[in-house]
Amino acid sequence: MSGKMRILTSVVAIAIVAAAVGVFIIRGPGPLDFAGGTKVALADYRAGKPTGVPAKLEKASIVERGEYLTKAADCMVCHTKPGEKDYSGGLAFKLPFGTLYSTNITPDKDTGIGNYSDQDFLNAVQHGKRRDGARLYPAMPYTSYTFMTDEDVLAVKAYLFSLPAVRAKAPDNTLSFPFNQRWTMIVWSAVFNPDTRFAPDTSKSPEWNRGAYLAEALAHCGECHTPRNLGFALDNRRKFAGAITAGWRAFNISSDKATGLGNWSDQDLISYLSLGHAPGHGSASGPMGEAVDHSLSKLAPEDISSIVAYLRSVPPQPSPDLPATTAPVAPASHRDGVTANARGKQVFASACASCHGWSGESPVSPVATLTGTWAVNDPAATNVAQIVLSGTKRHTPDGALSMPAFGKAYTDDEIAAVANYVTARFGAKGSKLTAKDVAELREQTAE
Amino acid sequence: MHMATTLTINGETKSFDAPPEMPLLWVLRDILGMTGTKFGCGIAQCGACTVHVDGKAVRSCVLPVSAVENRAITTIEAVGNTPSGAKVQKAWLEAEVIQCGYCQSGQIMSAAALLASTPKPDDSDIDAAMAGNICRCGTYVRIREAIKQAANGRQS
Repeated sequence: MSGKMRILTSVVAIAIVAAAVGVFIIRGPGPLDFAGGTKVALADYRAGKPTGVPAKLEKASIVERGEYLTKAADCMVCHTKPGEKDYSGGLAFKLPFGTLYSTNITPDKDTGIGNYSDQDFLNAVQHGKRRDGARLYPAMPYTSYTFMTDEDVLAVKAYLFSLPAVRAKAPDNTLSFPFNQRWTMIVWSAVFNPDTRFAPDTSKSPEWNRGAYLAEALAHCGECHTPRNLGFALDNRRKFAGAITAGWRAFNISSDKATGLGNWSDQDLISYLSLGHAPGHGSASGPMGEAVDHSLSKLAPEDISSIVAYLRSVPPQPSPDLPATTAPVAPASHRDGVTANARGKQVFASACASCHGWSGESPVSPVATLTGTWAVNDPAATNVAQIVLSGTKRHTPDGALSMPAFGKAYTDDEIAAVANYVTARFGAKGSKLTAKDVAELREQTAE
Repeated sequence: MHMATTLTINGETKSFDAPPEMPLLWVLRDILGMTGTKFGCGIAQCGACTVHVDGKAVRSCVLPVSAVENRAITTIEAVGNTPSGAKVQKAWLEAEVIQCGYCQSGQIMSAAALLASTPKPDDSDIDAAMAGNICRCGTYVRIREAIKQAANGRQS
């Protein structure tokens, strides 16, 4: 080898090593690496059954088991456009580099997944590979579903194939270059898809293992609640520290005492997950409201308890931008408390006060109480502005209140003013939203 | 799913079957025939459907009936039996507030709740309490005047 060749070879070798180290650093740990215990293959685990359905459905048909698992995996919310048939796709995900549309997963042969074999379906759900060989974008959380067992994935397929076929073709994606190059997802997937099935941890309780399977393989909590890295994959070094997804803030669900779930009682967590409301912690709206309505509220009580046991074990991650404690109840009279921001107050008096009250404790229902919620204590006011724009219509608990959407009734300026008033009056630190911020939030919501 | 529901309305116990998510306004008007409370916008933005729950003014069109069991409900039919309601109704007649009248049961309910909690309201109190009650005839000036009359007990 000549001297020049040697230098060139060394440079290439160094570049390859540097790239590998870089990929390793960016990728970081897997979603369950924090637990650190001894992992065994599922077949060798005897202490309990972390996968599949709860005991009461053990003897049920594959379609019934699949229905439970499909709900636990919350397939419906993303694969249904509001107002259209269930699972027929077409929901728009607005990303900074274009719009992605969810696909039709009804058994229609032309526009859905009617031609998928069992292997085709496993390839899509666990490996992110479409039947025609094209790669899925990771908006489909296959890096979470990859932890599902083949048996569970195929039960989901059996359930989906039991539903009526709907002919509906989703609009074409409008991603810009280079994001419209699907083949690049081969590289993304090689780096970021763990491509492995759930392996129980023998150092943890059977309940923890069930919770880990539900939260990681099925409910895919991290897809909204874990911040993303440079490669737009989950950064599990900051697991469950909270993130902005689809224009809504998914708050910190690590065990941090101040800004996470560390100080929530078990009863509060169970109530929030199964009903979407816990006294003093507010109500789930936006994407979390949908997750509760269509997925978590359908889970067996023992499964909810398992998720709680698992969440408790996730190491604390602080959210430094949030106050250490949420603000106490505001004065009962409109005169006391915040006085600046006359415009925000005017909008609040006309549109908000009759349900939320001037103190933040709703005269109507605890579900509408603002005091104690992270939304009003977030100095960025993201979720306050979002809920004013899009309102909320929750299905649980029975007869829960709904809030009208004000996005078409008020200007961006008025919505910014009322969000700033609300966070100042009911939260620890008032926000400084501008009309431009509100316009940007409008752009980000999935529809 | 219909459920047996019992409410306390104007001091009387009323039992009926209704789905838990049915708004109180529907129960009042369609099931109990108490049509004094009006339907306006249906999204808590006009105030025509205002009633009192535990003495506070709330919009009955967005209030599921399941949320008001075991709470005291007062409607326009009986607000005249409360001290502040009686004063407001008297002042309303003396000031000839009403034009078409559609929004007025809601206006009276909000004004009565205001006087019950703030016996001598100034303009900013009236703004804060009445901003959610809309009147398309534009009787706002007379509403403000009547609230002050009711508070001060003076004759026009």
